[in-house]
Amino acid sequence: MSAPITQPTPNWLERMVRDYSAFVVALVAAFMVIFFIGMATAPNFLTLFNLKTIIRDAALVGIMAIGLTFVTLSGNFFLLSLKETAALSIVAFATSMSAGYGFEISFLFTMVIALISGMSQGVLIGLGGNPIVVTLGAAGLLFGLGSYWSDNLVISFRRPHGAEWLGTGSFLGLPNITVAFILIAIAAEMTLRYTTFGRQVYLIGANRAAGKATGHENFGMAIKTCAIASVCAAFVAIAFSAQVSSAHVNYFSSEFGSSGDMTIMVIATVMVGGNSIMGGYGSTLRSSFGAVFISTVDNMMVLHGFNSGPRVLAVGLMIVFSIMVFALVRRGSRSQE
Amino acid sequence: MDKIKNWVVENHDLAFAILLAICVYGYFALTNEYFATHRTGFAIMERFAVLGLVGLALTLCIIAGEIDLSIGSNAALAAVVVVRFTDSLGAFPALFIAVSISTLIGAIQGYFIAYLRVRAIVLTVGTLMLLRGVALFAAEEKTVMLTDFRVPDFISTKMLWYFSPASLLVIAMFVVVGLFMSYTRYGREIYAIGGARKEAVAAGIDLKRPMIIVFAISGLCAGLGGCIIGLRSGTAQALGLQYVLLAGTVAAFIGGVSILGGKGGVIGAAIGTLTVNFLNTGLVFNVTPAFMVQLYLGVLLMIVIMFQTGSRIFDDYQRRQQILFDVDARKAPLLARKAESLKRQ
Repeated sequence: MSAPITQPTPNWLERMVRDYSAFVVALVAAFMVIFFIGMATAPNFLTLFNLKTIIRDAALVGIMAIGLTFVTLSGNFFLLSLKETAALSIVAFATSMSAGYGFEISFLFTMVIALISGMSQGVLIGLGGNPIVVTLGAAGLLFGLGSYWSDNLVISFRRPHGAEWLGTGSFLGLPNITVAFILIAIAAEMTLRYTTFGRQVYLIGANRAAGKATGHENFGMAIKTCAIASVCAAFVAIAFSAQVSSAHVNYFSSEFGSSGDMTIMVIATVMVGGNSIMGGYGSTLRSSFGAVFISTVDNMMVLHGFNSGPRVLAVGLMIVFSIMVFALVRRGSRSQE
Repeated sequence: MDKIKNWVVENHDLAFAILLAICVYGYFALTNEYFATHRTGFAIMERFAVLGLVGLALTLCIIAGEIDLSIGSNAALAAVVVVRFTDSLGAFPALFIAVSISTLIGAIQGYFIAYLRVRAIVLTVGTLMLLRGVALFAAEEKTVMLTDFRVPDFISTKMLWYFSPASLLVIAMFVVVGLFMSYTRYGREIYAIGGARKEAVAAGIDLKRPMIIVFAISGLCAGLGGCIIGLRSGTAQALGLQYVLLAGTVAAFIGGVSILGGKGGVIGAAIGTLTVNFLNTGLVFNVTPAFMVQLYLGVLLMIVIMFQTGSRIFDDYQRRQQILFDVDARKAPLLARKAESLKRQ
């Protein structure tokens, strides 16, 4: 009999030295330094009003990113058709609103359209189609449908309308879209953590074969997750339409917010939040924080007086940075391929 | 006749692509009297100069089992660079600089994909944004313009009824890349890492080399395409050219690549692109708005994907049936022997 060999539990510093290479630590440290210097020197950055602005800016992209996180976590990469789904939805919503149907009916109508488009993409992905190519095709299709339906014109509906509370109303000093963002973030995180469905998402994403062996096929999961992502995109479209009381298919295309098109911004958010793009690792909470983080950096750069070029560049750098750190940290682990 | 039949059976993807191209061309030629003229042919070849390059680049990427999402941003960056430098340096140095930058970007992407062992879509969606930022930076957030319009005039000079310097250059590019893919070791390595990556790596192929080559060619094509479009129109926008990804992917898939990689070729890419261009040009003749072209392209891509997925599912089913059949065939004599021995007892 020999005494059991025990080692002292490594503290955080030892763990960091053991788990992460010097390169990764240096990258993260350099980034943090730049971030904090920028934060400290930006004028009017640390005010309550600015904080609210940051979260409000993050809300629309954040809601879409939360929807997309389900797809990513289930191992189906990402959907390239998000902004086109939103474009079709915004046209559907505005058409219905301007025809005089109330908010509730228009809302349901839009959601049904988004569900159909999301589920049909999900079916194709679930049958084994490559998610990127399927949604690239779907993007062209949905955008074309939206343009055809609206005749490529701006559809507007007159104030006061039933959707004003969502677009411009506020609750306890926070805009309602921000409130919706927070509520959706909480609900999504609860779903992922505490429901059977949430655990299935992780299982299928982490190990497709194990999921199949235990009776959780990707077919159903792809349909469900794509439906969630599409519904979130449609919700964003409705909220945006409610805000500006009009709709056009190009609202989500170029120059939405600060940085290029919406789909890539949403994917950036999911990646920068630190979700594994191969699936199985991450959470919607990370995506929400990713949205807030990107919005913070953007806000900081605006306060420093940067144009759109450097800001887009910063977002691109953040994505590439997170990919590299992620790949280097996870090197050799199973979730890589 | 037998030879043709054998060829069709062997290359059914290519045969299908040719058939589709003839059908699309025939439809527009019959419904529109101006479609089958050499003027329209020239217009189609002019479009081919840009889309063909993108289709070629995406075909190579998909053969290698990856997809390059950043191709539109790379092309836009090249367009901005070439238009900005043409006035001060002259067209050829500017072209050289822009194409080298794009090729270098592609090679770096390929290196990192192999080094980090990530899927290309993951990295290229990041570089899509990054390069767009660089392009915005290079263009100073404006639309850049040429002042000297002799270069655009030269690029679209008509030669031999159908061709211009740009489209001749692209055709030469196709020939070179086609020979490279078919007859060199490096080209065959690209097929190998696409069709069976684990086996290829096990057989001693270093993943880095083919990856760098594929993405360098992809960057070269994107850069050249961007330069042609930039110099021809004399203007360039940093946020433009994003539509080429969809059109190029459709062209590649019509040309017979499989998303699983390792299949397809340069001839397929050329025919696929021509089909897309026939469709594009024909729709323009029939006064169709631009968004409808996107709609048709989307539908086309969805149909091709459905075909591929369906045929894969059917193949799997057949294979499973075959295995079951084989197992039964092997089981039958054993069972008979056992029954006999039982009877003897």
